Parts: sequence; C-alpha cells; structure tokens
Amino acid sequence: MGMKELVDELAAKRTRARAMGGEEAVARQHAAGKLTVRERLDLLFDAGTLTEIGVQATHAGIAPDLAGRETPADGVVTGFGRIAGRLASVIAYDFTVMAGSMGRTAEVKCNRAREIAYTKRFPMIWLIDSAGARIQEAIGSKSFAGSGLLFREESIMSGVVPQVAAMMGPGAAGTAYIPALADFVPMVKGTSNMALGGPPLVKAVVGEDITAEELGGSKVHCEISGCGDLEVEDDRACIRAIKDYLAYFPQNNTEPPPVVPCDDPPDRREEALLTLVPDSPRRAYDVKKVVRAVVDHGVFLELKPAWAKNVVVGLARLGGAPVGIVANQPMVLGGALDVDSADKAARFIMLCDAFSIPLVFLQDVPGFMVGSKVERAGIIRHGAKMLYAVSEATVPKLTVVLRKAYGAGYFVMCGRGYEPDLIVGWPTAEISVMGPEGGTNIVFRREIAAAASPEEERARRVEEFRKLINPYMAAGAALIDDVIDPRETRGVLIRGLAMARTKTLQRPWKKHGVMPV
Amino acid sequence: MPEEIKAHITGVVFQITAAAGARVAAGDPVIVLESMKMEIPVEAPRDGAVKEIRVQEGQTVQEGDVVAVLE
Repeated sequence: MGMKELVDELAAKRTRARAMGGEEAVARQHAAGKLTVRERLDLLFDAGTLTEIGVQATHAGIAPDLAGRETPADGVVTGFGRIAGRLASVIAYDFTVMAGSMGRTAEVKCNRAREIAYTKRFPMIWLIDSAGARIQEAIGSKSFAGSGLLFREESIMSGVVPQVAAMMGPGAAGTAYIPALADFVPMVKGTSNMALGGPPLVKAVVGEDITAEELGGSKVHCEISGCGDLEVEDDRACIRAIKDYLAYFPQNNTEPPPVVPCDDPPDRREEALLTLVPDSPRRAYDVKKVVRAVVDHGVFLELKPAWAKNVVVGLARLGGAPVGIVANQPMVLGGALDVDSADKAARFIMLCDAFSIPLVFLQDVPGFMVGSKVERAGIIRHGAKMLYAVSEATVPKLTVVLRKAYGAGYFVMCGRGYEPDLIVGWPTAEISVMGPEGGTNIVFRREIAAAASPEEERARRVEEFRKLINPYMAAGAALIDDVIDPRETRGVLIRGLAMARTKTLQRPWKKHGVMPV
Repeated sequence: MPEEIKAHITGVVFQITAAAGARVAAGDPVIVLESMKMEIPVEAPRDGAVKEIRVQEGQTVQEGDVVAVLE
C-alpha cells in the first residue's frame, strides 16, 4: 500500500475508535441520562486542545470471549488538553465499551496519563463511569499479583498536583478507590454511585439485597458517608463544577494559586453584617451569609455542603486571590464541632495548605461536643486531626472571632496559639475556656453550696464571670490584634492577606508526622 | 404514616414550640433543645400534623430519643 492508502486506513481506524461502543450503546448511554465520554471531554477542554493518547488501543487478547472483537480505545479515553488555558491530564472511562471496565490495555493508557500529570506537574482528572476491574482480564493470580500500582501513584501525587475524580456513572471497587484518594469528588445525581463492592458482590458475599443507588448513590456519599464533595444535577453541571474548582488551584504545589482581576471594592462595607448576629448569644444565624457578604461578588464554592453541616468549608476569592474559608455554622448543632465536622475541616485545611491557598477562619463555636456518644466515636482523635492540620498549615491564616470561641474550638479554628497572621474579633466575640454557666459551676461549686441562697449566689457569680468574657479583655492584653466593626470585615481580611503574602515558615525537617487519623 | 422525630443532640428541652394537633411545615421547629450553650431547634422532617409531643420542658433527652411524632 502507498502512503495514501495507509493514511486512509488510519483515518478509518480512528473513526471506528471514536465511535465508542457503537450506535446502540451510545443510545443506551443517552437514555440513561448520561453524555458519552467524548461529549464530556468536549465540554471539559477548551475547543480543539485535547490531544488523545492511546486511541488505537484495544483489549489485551487474553479473554476467550473477546476473541475477534475490538474494544475501541479499550474503554477509556486518555490524553491531555487545556482547561481555561491551563494544561490538565485526563482519564475518562467509556461505559459504552465493556461497561468502562478497567482492562489490561486500558490500565497501560491510564498509567501513561498519570505519568504525564505527575512528571509535568499539572492536574489529573478522572471522569469515572466504570463497572470496575475487567474480571476476564484480571482473574487469577498471574494477572492480579502485579496490579494495583495506580493507588500508590495517586497517593504519591496527592498534594503535588490537584486531583479531581468526578463520578459520572458507577464506580465499583477499583474505580471507587480513585475518588477516595482524589482531592475533589463531584457526583452526578441519579446516575453516579460508588462502592467497594457493587450490589451483585454484596448479595453474594453478605446476602444483602440493595440497589446501587441505595448502596452508594450521590445522596449516600454527599450526605451520610462524606466521601462525595458535591452533588450535581447532571453531566453538564458536573463538568462546570470541575472547572469552577480548578480555577482556584495552581497547576502544582510549587506555584501560587491563580489571582484574577477583581472589581469588587476591597473596602466594601456590608451593612447587613451589623444586624446578622442575634441579640441573644444563644440564638443561631446562618454563617454562610457572613461568607457571601465578605468574599468577592458573594461567590462561594462550598465543599461537602450537605455533610457535617455544623462546619462550612469552601473556596472563594478576596481581592481576586483564592482563599479557603472554614466557618462554624451556628444553625446546625449550635456550631458545636463533632467527629465528622472535625474530619471535614481538617481535610479541607490540608487541601488548602498543600496548594498554597490562604485560610480564613470565621469562629462561632461553643466548643467540641461532649458526652458518651461522641467519646465512643473517638472525638478526641478526630478533634486532634483539626489541631494537627491547623498546626501544620504554613499558608497565611486569618481569624475573625464572630461570637463564640470556646475551649478547644478556639484552638482548632486558628486561635492565637496557632499562628494566625491576623486575628480580630467582632464586638460580640466571646473567647473563653468555657461559658459562664459551666465555669461558675466548677470554680465556685463550694461557695454556691455554702451560700444562704445558692441560686442567687450562682446567678451573681455567673454575671461576674460573664464580665470577663468580652473582646476588650483579649484585645486589652494584645492577644487579639483588634476589635473590628463587622462591616469592616472584608477590608480587614484583604489587607491581612496582602500583608501575609510573603509569609515564610520553615518547619524542622521530618519524614512526616504521625497524623491522628 | 406516622413518623418519629428524634433529637439529634443530647440536651435539655428548653421550649416546646408546637402543640399536639398543630400543623407544621418541613423545617419548622417542633421543640427547642438547650445544649452546648445554644438553643438548638429540632425540626419537622416534612409537612404534617403533630400527633404527640413525648417530652416536657426541662427534661433531659439523649441523642436519638423520640421527642415527638408526626401524623
């Protein structure tokens, strides 16, 4: 054949590979409410920037039932392209080919895509729509004994490049550990699910009858298990979420996060903050209103919004620069921290610190939950994760005490002892080891018991104690940097960030600490 | 289907905000607990009529205790 015939043959092979699993399978994909892998990639990457690798790949030829058949691209599209002008590597499973199962050739392609992200130091993105391992090619000791390196590599890449694993269909076993090790996991409502063992395996091994949705749907993981970061309506919303998320991140851990021009005035005063906190210190308000009032244009990408809602975490910008917000939420459990919320906040602090994103702490925390229930759940070690993460973080840290700052809650939310570059309080700030009622009962127990009228004595002591809890006591000792008008919060934070930009902290060398997981 | 409303935090019943027979909307407080220095509402999970209130003001409830029942 001459070159002309050869390139015609190449073009025909390319067309076949790009047709995915064929018309029928594509129609089934659409009928299930899902886009095809190639439609998803068209949305994800800037037009014409995706360079595909491994499009000519097919199955390894070891499974008897696949003899004589082709598996286009071997069920996974891999390559690199630009998202908002910046490079990223992608592994996108194609459910129309062998249910997107992880075949032996497919894994060679995936290894290549990870190698590109890792050695060139730019983000790695997985679009997961896969039944898991392709058992025909993985069964038996000879096949399996050498597999599994993907999770080791993903672990090593953690904190080096941003890693996003979007659940856009099923992810079972092998394809469920990929999101577990990724930084950000959006899940499409209704079509995505993940589980270490899918329903047939669950039925066979433990005898439980359960659907994939009940076992590991987006609601389960975004509201109960905490394994998902964001429930999104459909595939398009999922791709948008990936782009929104990446816009806050640098390409890798040696670059600063991307700053954008900002036309929201840095000293904008927000009048609503004057009346947001109720007069009664025991009443709740929505801390997200504070977040939205303060950040650029009120734009806030909240992560894990439906799980452990007593703490609010997410990404926003201040004066055009990305920041991570950690805020207690008085609307839920009074803002008290518990096992899941400590987990959620600690992980988010580590994420921001890994990628040089400054942290803003908004404190209104009555403390850590107490009682037998949380002690048995290991609140001590879960709370310690937050102590550990906030202590380790060397990014700029700014703290605003909105109201309550009690006990270890004050510490883990970056109190004075945790190297905040600026710590200020609203006039409502209450910083104390514990509240006046609890403190009085402990400190003046004998005096109260001995008094002629114990109740009156208790009330008098509580009032005395209460006088000691106000921001001017802390500011008077220069232990917080200032007391501010709530309306000034945005301006104070933006000036604080600018001041802390050149922050340099050299920790002692260590291999790594022993994190209280 | 009657539905039990459970306390999601251990605390003392500070206030009962919906009487038996009252109609409530999803998210309305049925009772308010005092815990962790805060007043924490226990909300109706859905619209409905309150069948019974199982607690009294001042009573200590544990997380998971049934505090009220919806019709």
